[in-house]
Amino acid sequence: MNIRFAWAAAAACLAVPGVAHADENLLGYNTGAEVLPKGSGDLYVFNTLRSDKGQGHYRAVDTQLEVEYGVTDRIQLSVAANILSIDTAGLTIDGYLPKPINKGPRFSGVELSAKFNVLSPALDNFGLAVITSVEVNRLDPHSGQDKLEYEAHTVLAAQKYFMQGQLTWIGNIGLKAGYEDRKAIANLPEGFDWPTTPEMEIELSVGTGLSYRVAPNWFIGAETQWASEYETEVGNERWSLFAGPTIHYGGKRMWATLTWFPQITGGGEKYEGQTGHLHLIEKTKDEFRLKLGYNF
Amino acid sequence: MNRSIWTALLGLPALTVVSAPAYAVDYLNVEQAQRAVIPNATSFTAYSVTLSPDQLKQIKAIAKVPQRTDKPRVWKAMAGGKQVGWVIVDEVIGKHEMITYATGISTDGHVLGVEIMSYRESKGDQVRNAKWRNLFKGKAVSDPFKLNQDIPNISGATLSCRNLTDGVKRLLALHQVALGKS
Repeated sequence: MNIRFAWAAAAACLAVPGVAHADENLLGYNTGAEVLPKGSGDLYVFNTLRSDKGQGHYRAVDTQLEVEYGVTDRIQLSVAANILSIDTAGLTIDGYLPKPINKGPRFSGVELSAKFNVLSPALDNFGLAVITSVEVNRLDPHSGQDKLEYEAHTVLAAQKYFMQGQLTWIGNIGLKAGYEDRKAIANLPEGFDWPTTPEMEIELSVGTGLSYRVAPNWFIGAETQWASEYETEVGNERWSLFAGPTIHYGGKRMWATLTWFPQITGGGEKYEGQTGHLHLIEKTKDEFRLKLGYNF
Repeated sequence: MNRSIWTALLGLPALTVVSAPAYAVDYLNVEQAQRAVIPNATSFTAYSVTLSPDQLKQIKAIAKVPQRTDKPRVWKAMAGGKQVGWVIVDEVIGKHEMITYATGISTDGHVLGVEIMSYRESKGDQVRNAKWRNLFKGKAVSDPFKLNQDIPNISGATLSCRNLTDGVKRLLALHQVALGKS
C-alpha cells in the first residue's frame, strides 16, 4: 500500500470545503429516509475495517468515495468509487480464501445509486425512502483476488423522529442480488476448491437502530443488522447478526459517524477447523466503520 | 499493511471532527428581538412565570408538543402605560443545535411577530427571511400550524421548520393557559 496515497486521501478530507446537509448518516450501517434538497451535493468518505476470522491474520479496509447530488427535493443520485485494501496470512478457507495477500489500496469498482424519498420523517411524521443501486467490482472483497462481480441492491429505508427530533429511529430492509465470476489462480494446492464458473447470490438484510442527541452536534446510538445469504446450489448458505454502538458528530461544515459493529451470532457454513457459532467465511468478528461527509 | 497506513486511513479523518471550527450565529439579542416583534412597545418588563404540572399538561394537550421548561422567559410589552402584548423567548431543536427565537403575542392571543435570534444550522436559514416569518402573524392557537398547509416547508430544513412551527403554537398555548388572564 502506498503510504503517500493514504495520507493524501486522508488529508483531502481536511481540504474539501463545504457546509452541512440533510442526508446525514446518523448510523453506520442503517440508512435514513431523508434526501438532500434540490441542488445540494455531498462528498462522502467511508472506511470500513473488517478484522479477525478467528484464526490467522485477517484485516481489510473497504474505502468508498462517494459524490451525492439532490436532483429534486425528493430524488438524489450518487456515484461512488470502491477501493480495497487487504492483508491476510495464516489462514486459508477452501473455496473462499486461497492464499495470503497484502495489497492495497486498489481500485475495485464503481457504484451508482438513486434514492427516492416517498415520505419525509419531519413533514409526514414517518419517513420512507427507496434506494436502488448497481455496482461493478473487479476484486473479491473477501480474498482480494480477481473476481468480476455485478450487484443490484434495493433498500427500503424507514425513519421516525421522536421527542421533536432528539431521538431518531431508523429501519432498513434490503435485498441484494449478485453475479460473480472468479478468475483462475495459478499454483493453488492440489484439491483446493476455487470455482471459476459464474455464481448467483442473493442476500436479504434487515436492520434497525436508534440515535439520540446527547448534546448539541453530538449523537450516540446503537444499531443492528441481520443478513442471510442464499446461493444457487445450496439455498440458505450463511447468516449473521451484527450489533454495536455508534457515535455521530454533525457540524455546519461536515459530519462524521463512527461505528463498532461486532458479529454477535451467525450460522451456516463454517470453514474447516473453525470453532464457535459465527459466520466467518465471508464475514469477520469485528467491523469498524468511519464515515465522513462534506456538503458543497 | 503497516500501522502508519491504518493511522492515515482512520486517524487523520477523525481529526477533522476535532478540528472542525465551532459555529454559532446570534443574530439578535433579547432587546433587539423584543423591539422587532412588537415595534410599537416602548418598554419591556420581565414577567416571572412558573408553570404548574397541570399547566404543562394543558399546554401539551393543546400544542401536541411538550413545554420543556416550567420557567419560560416572558416579558410584558408596554406602550403609553398600557400593555400591548407579550414577548416570549424560547428554544426548539434544530437538526444539530437549538434554535433560539422570540415570539410577540397580543393580549388577545394572536401572533404579532416571530424573530430568529440564533440559527446555527447549515441549511434552511430561509427561516430567518421576513417572508416566511410573517406567515405566522395574526395566527391564533386555534389555527392548524401544519407544515405545507398553512405554513410552507423549507427544503433541507424540514425539522427546523416543523419545530419552529410547533414552537410558536406551543407559545400561544402557553399564553392561553398561563398569561391570558394576567
